[in-house]
Amino acid sequence: MIDEVRKLLAEKFAGQNVSATADERGIVTLSGECTDWKTLVRVGQAVAKVPGVRNVVSDMTAKGVTIPHKDYTPFVKAGMEKGVLDKVNVVIIGAGISGCGIARELSRYNLSVTVVEMGDDVASGATKANNGDIHAGHAVQPGTLKARLNVEGNRMYTKWAEELGFELQRCGALYAIVEPEMMKALGMVLKIARANHVPGARIVNAKEALRLEPKLAAEEERLGKKIIAGLWLPSMGVVEPYQVAVALAENAAKNGVKFLLDCTVGQVLHENGQVKGVVTEKGIIYADYVINCAGVYADEISEMAGDRCFTIHPRKGTIAILDKSTPPMYSALAGVATIARVMGTKKDPESKGGGMCRTPEWNPLLGPSATEVPDKEDNTTTPEDMEYAMSRNMDPNAGWGDVIRLFAGVRPADFKEDFVIGMSDITHGFINVGAIQSPGLASAPAIAQMAVEILLDDRAMGGNPAEAKTDFDPIEPRHVEFRHMTQQQRDELIAKDPRYGRIICRCEQITEGEILDAVHSGIVPTSIDAIKRRTRAGMGRCQGGFCQPRVLELLARELGRDWVGITLKGRGSNLLVADNREEVAK
Amino acid sequence: MKHIEKDIVVIGGGPAGLAAALEARRQGAEKVLLIERDTEMGGILQQCIHDGFGLHRFEARLSGGQYAQRFIDELEKTDIEVKLDTIVLQVTDNKVVYACNPKDGMMEIQAGAVILAMGCRERTASQVFIYGTRPAGVLTAGAVQRYINMEGYIPGKKAVILGSGDIGLIMARRMTLEGIEVKGVYEVMPSPGGLTRNIVQCLDDYGIPLHLSTTVVRTYGKQRLEGITVAKVDENRKPIPGTEEYIDCDLLVLAVGLIPENELSKQAGVEMDPKTKGPVVDNTFMTSIPGVFACGNVSVVFDLVDYVSQSGEIAARGAVNYLKHGMEKAPEYTPVQTGSNVNFVVPQRLQKGMPAGEVTFFMRVAKPQKKAELQCSCGDQLVKKTRYQVVAPPEMLACTVELKDGDQPRFSVVEV
Repeated sequence: MIDEVRKLLAEKFAGQNVSATADERGIVTLSGECTDWKTLVRVGQAVAKVPGVRNVVSDMTAKGVTIPHKDYTPFVKAGMEKGVLDKVNVVIIGAGISGCGIARELSRYNLSVTVVEMGDDVASGATKANNGDIHAGHAVQPGTLKARLNVEGNRMYTKWAEELGFELQRCGALYAIVEPEMMKALGMVLKIARANHVPGARIVNAKEALRLEPKLAAEEERLGKKIIAGLWLPSMGVVEPYQVAVALAENAAKNGVKFLLDCTVGQVLHENGQVKGVVTEKGIIYADYVINCAGVYADEISEMAGDRCFTIHPRKGTIAILDKSTPPMYSALAGVATIARVMGTKKDPESKGGGMCRTPEWNPLLGPSATEVPDKEDNTTTPEDMEYAMSRNMDPNAGWGDVIRLFAGVRPADFKEDFVIGMSDITHGFINVGAIQSPGLASAPAIAQMAVEILLDDRAMGGNPAEAKTDFDPIEPRHVEFRHMTQQQRDELIAKDPRYGRIICRCEQITEGEILDAVHSGIVPTSIDAIKRRTRAGMGRCQGGFCQPRVLELLARELGRDWVGITLKGRGSNLLVADNREEVAK
Repeated sequence: MKHIEKDIVVIGGGPAGLAAALEARRQGAEKVLLIERDTEMGGILQQCIHDGFGLHRFEARLSGGQYAQRFIDELEKTDIEVKLDTIVLQVTDNKVVYACNPKDGMMEIQAGAVILAMGCRERTASQVFIYGTRPAGVLTAGAVQRYINMEGYIPGKKAVILGSGDIGLIMARRMTLEGIEVKGVYEVMPSPGGLTRNIVQCLDDYGIPLHLSTTVVRTYGKQRLEGITVAKVDENRKPIPGTEEYIDCDLLVLAVGLIPENELSKQAGVEMDPKTKGPVVDNTFMTSIPGVFACGNVSVVFDLVDYVSQSGEIAARGAVNYLKHGMEKAPEYTPVQTGSNVNFVVPQRLQKGMPAGEVTFFMRVAKPQKKAELQCSCGDQLVKKTRYQVVAPPEMLACTVELKDGDQPRFSVVEV
């Protein structure tokens, strides 16, 4: 296998000064310097495709590129000084959608579980910055782990939504075509969908396409061409991704899981091939199992556990969110795929960017883009990303003036471009749940199930099977959403609790009662952005211009903190620097 | 749910709404209800502790609070009902207003006439396409003003202001007085956005530089703002590569324009003017829905509060007249036309059959012009002309003309 890799490097990447070694597991380590960052990624991806290569670890650099490295020593030092914090059965590193999903599944059992999260809130990494699509599973290569977990996860969302009280809209996806030449392409996508067992996927005729999405008629008119067929994927859905993660975390917390926020892991303790726990900045936590859901840092955490088996190459995605006053054109994720449009999209063979979709609250979304970046925390927006997002706009009534927020997140992609889920074959008890990029959100329920099965099977094999809790409560009641109520329901609600009669965020009609519900929930949000994700306060067209000071006031009051101590998004992001002139002068 | 009936419901207790409610009562409307979402009346004037308000109306230099208080004092002498801490959730096209507050719960208010006076909101960083990070320390000028003037907190130590409109200029001075180092005011346009007197009193007097044709293109700092990049822009307002300059700062204040707040108006189905971003109004400030009026910064963003109050009074007189005489069907209209160098005129049209009398028009020019003359003509006849040393887009022109039914006024600004 290593010979094939070297041959590939010599033939396809002759200009790159890259060398390769392999271990007995099929993990190939690449080192040397590439001409540029994009090529570095291409080299890694190509090598990962060589038969027999399990995954690729990169020590490569690129000319003129500085790859930032996170320094964990201050966290280790702080943790060591604080000493032992806890001893538990399971530590989960990372409270994104994967970590929260696993925590909630594990909370069904008589196990002590602690989730440690470096951010100030759950869902503060890639989970908060994606478009919320619950993909049907038609766009993933058959036979991959992704394909299986995507379709399975999609199916499992119905139960999650019922139990956890978050909004899931099975809007379906409809790709219509107007040119006979596109029929073959449509057939190919259907073939993939069928191979992946996507439920209900089928070709529909023009009449049915228009019945499913009557507004496609306007698109016919604009294009001057009639729709001839479409691919209908009824299982496609949309959620607010942070809402899912928060519901999972709150339910897990209710069932006994501990969450430590603002808590970075600096070291994974292991001895003689057995994981022992983690050193966090808040102290040492001993554990029998450590589950690595650390997103873009998952490769580094795995390395800390003595198992360097993949490398994350961060892939940035930028999304533009549009005002609701220009509502989405379609209920489904629909559109007309024309030859010109398909050819006009520069495609990354490994990850296409996103198009136009909508949120469950009916904001149109454009993007995400897909840009390879060396920095795992590079969620900056650029004019190029904005151009990409706006190029996805198919609505003649929407434009740049409708954008209320442009944001970016970083996908944790590995070179294999598949999920890395499994017990480490070097450090027993250490379970990787890494490289969870798209369709990670759609796959989340199946990922959680798979990771928990690995842990339970291992305990059972060790003669120590976990017992199911008798008092596990799977239900997380839905929070009050004033904006979705009838006038009568609102009246009754305010009569019961007058705090629901005071609107704090006028754009999204979010009440004081809803903000207080969030502050006093199982996972306490302490920043303005955390409140925004819980309640939507500040998510509207004025972007918190009016309500930010009021949310800040409520947070300070309810948390018993000084105003100056309230942050926008965790440590170091304080909104106010002083409460008087003398302080400023210092 | 409480069911309430009122002659006139005014939505918003800022300068437009206060003036409208008072004038409606003065003109004989009996049951007037003023709805305000804040716990105090005055709207944004509450946080405007600088002076310069009321020069036209009261011939006095008042602070925003003092200006508002004059109306509030008047209001308290009347039997106008005021509901504070109350938000309007919906206005229907048959003039039903849905509102709620903690005390009354939901209210369904049938109004004889509705006056929309919700004011405006500020444009945000995403809307002016500043790229980079999204840290704490990027705030709109209004939010900074609230933090400093109302809440008593300092939101940064080294500030840059984007936008040379009046709010940006006022905040430059205000922040300087609070000990914040204001590194400069940047303006994307080739001319300042605010009143000349504010440039002199707020920037020149404090040695704060104003950089024209320059904008902020990027922010730095993951958690808290650490700096920004500014760049010169070309005539299409696109940044010119190579002109970027990094500025170390922890506060970026955005004073990049105001947008009339018309979500309620749009929901009700009122016809909007894409130029003013407010409802199309007639000489009585009535919208396309008979009995629904708009005034103040809902109808168009004004520069002076005096005009805001004036527009509220015009709308109130229109509303009272509407109640007295009714209106069986929507009136027909004569358009008001814009000529050279006039960007827009409010009101946009005149009711056919209107009685002869004075009509006040508010307008902005498209570009600065020296030795200008504002001309109003009807057909071939020049009915009014006013000379100005200089006119510029930030300074609104108000023009009162004697008109009779059927006149088609046309406004132009020409060099003389």
